[in-house]
Amino acid sequence: MAEDFITGLKQIIEHLKVEDIMSQDPQTLTPEKTLWHAKEIMRLRKISGVPIVDEGGKLIGIVSIEDIIIALEGGYIRDPIKEHMTRNVVYLQPHDNVETAMEYFERYGFGRFPVLDREKKLVGVVTKEDILRGILKWFSTVYTHDERRNNVLESDYYYRSLITGEPLDKKGADFAFEIDYTDVNLAGVGAAKLKSFLTEKGLPSDTVRRISIATYEAETNVVIHSGSCGVIYCFLSDSSVKVRVEDYGKGIEDVELAMQEGYSTAPDHVRELGFGAGMGLANMKRFSDKMMIVSEVGKGVIVEMLFYFERSGDSGNPKGNQNP
Amino acid sequence: MTLKEVAEILDAEVLTGHEKLEEIEVERVAAADMMSDVLAFSQPRILLITGLNTPQVPRTVSIVDGVGAVIVRKHMVPQTTIDLAKALGIPLLHSKFSMFEACGRLYIRGLKPVESLS
Repeated sequence: MAEDFITGLKQIIEHLKVEDIMSQDPQTLTPEKTLWHAKEIMRLRKISGVPIVDEGGKLIGIVSIEDIIIALEGGYIRDPIKEHMTRNVVYLQPHDNVETAMEYFERYGFGRFPVLDREKKLVGVVTKEDILRGILKWFSTVYTHDERRNNVLESDYYYRSLITGEPLDKKGADFAFEIDYTDVNLAGVGAAKLKSFLTEKGLPSDTVRRISIATYEAETNVVIHSGSCGVIYCFLSDSSVKVRVEDYGKGIEDVELAMQEGYSTAPDHVRELGFGAGMGLANMKRFSDKMMIVSEVGKGVIVEMLFYFERSGDSGNPKGNQNP
Repeated sequence: MTLKEVAEILDAEVLTGHEKLEEIEVERVAAADMMSDVLAFSQPRILLITGLNTPQVPRTVSIVDGVGAVIVRKHMVPQTTIDLAKALGIPLLHSKFSMFEACGRLYIRGLKPVESLS
């Protein structure tokens, strides 16, 4: 277990970049301000250094607690910063590894490093605390998702098509997209990508539309309800398209109830975004030709939809009843 | 009617798609705040009128093959929404009218609702 942890930690540190863990929009000052200003900012914000930038946001120096102590001793705390700031600043870049950052802390012994982009503009600040927080956050995400994924993996559903029962080769999917559930505003990005993919493949536009709408709903459900990442897979054949959306999240307690139009458990902030009307599963059913859904509380949801098409003369509207 | 005429009738600010306004013909309109309703009941080539101003507006219009969106009732439209509309090629208008008034003004000028509901 301990070995697993250390191996895991090592992998994370190798992959984690400074830009993933840095604090953005740090408090800065311009060189015309006085050291007294810098001291006040450090005192109020409880920070150990203030980056000094020019009007264009480029870093030109830094004032540390040490500079302030010396200024107080020397009696020049009211002097402008530009006369006393440290000008040779050691900095990190957004794409540096966290490993590099840790080496810097050891080598230079500073409490913080500014992060500069290629134009030397200040984009963030990294402290040891940022590193610790970044690693913990990453590790907890990876760990929970591994656990959940294993739960789902144990089931036979994971390997077979829900609709046809055939074994599924997900690595051989014609299209795959990982759903980012952390930002509600990204809901639908996968469906949009699938739409351009299917359009490029020359599928009838009405079929593409049906598939995009149903996938959009499925993807939004993962983002809103699952609290977990998920994947959209799409498999193409000559006369049908299969879309499978999986997540490893909370699951659905009562699928039958959830299928009813108007039934929703979505919170208000989701409704403000125009979702959570209780139409999601109903819409998936409406626009697909076959749909199956499997879920267990705490183990995630798998939705599979099949869409038939002919190369010409697709009606494009929900099959059958147009005005439910 | 063209989108340009829609913009004039609704006294709307054109946020994206200026170059296409005169080419795009509008015949049918859907008005909704719930994007799932739009997904459920819309048809291709509709113009969407909505009180939402999130990136989901252009994304939904793109998914249902709509011709554009008019955002009503909101004081401002976030830059993320405008950027996405631009990227997806969706014309975006911003009108200060309420949804009721925007719909009414377009209705009396001859625009129609979604087919299956008319």
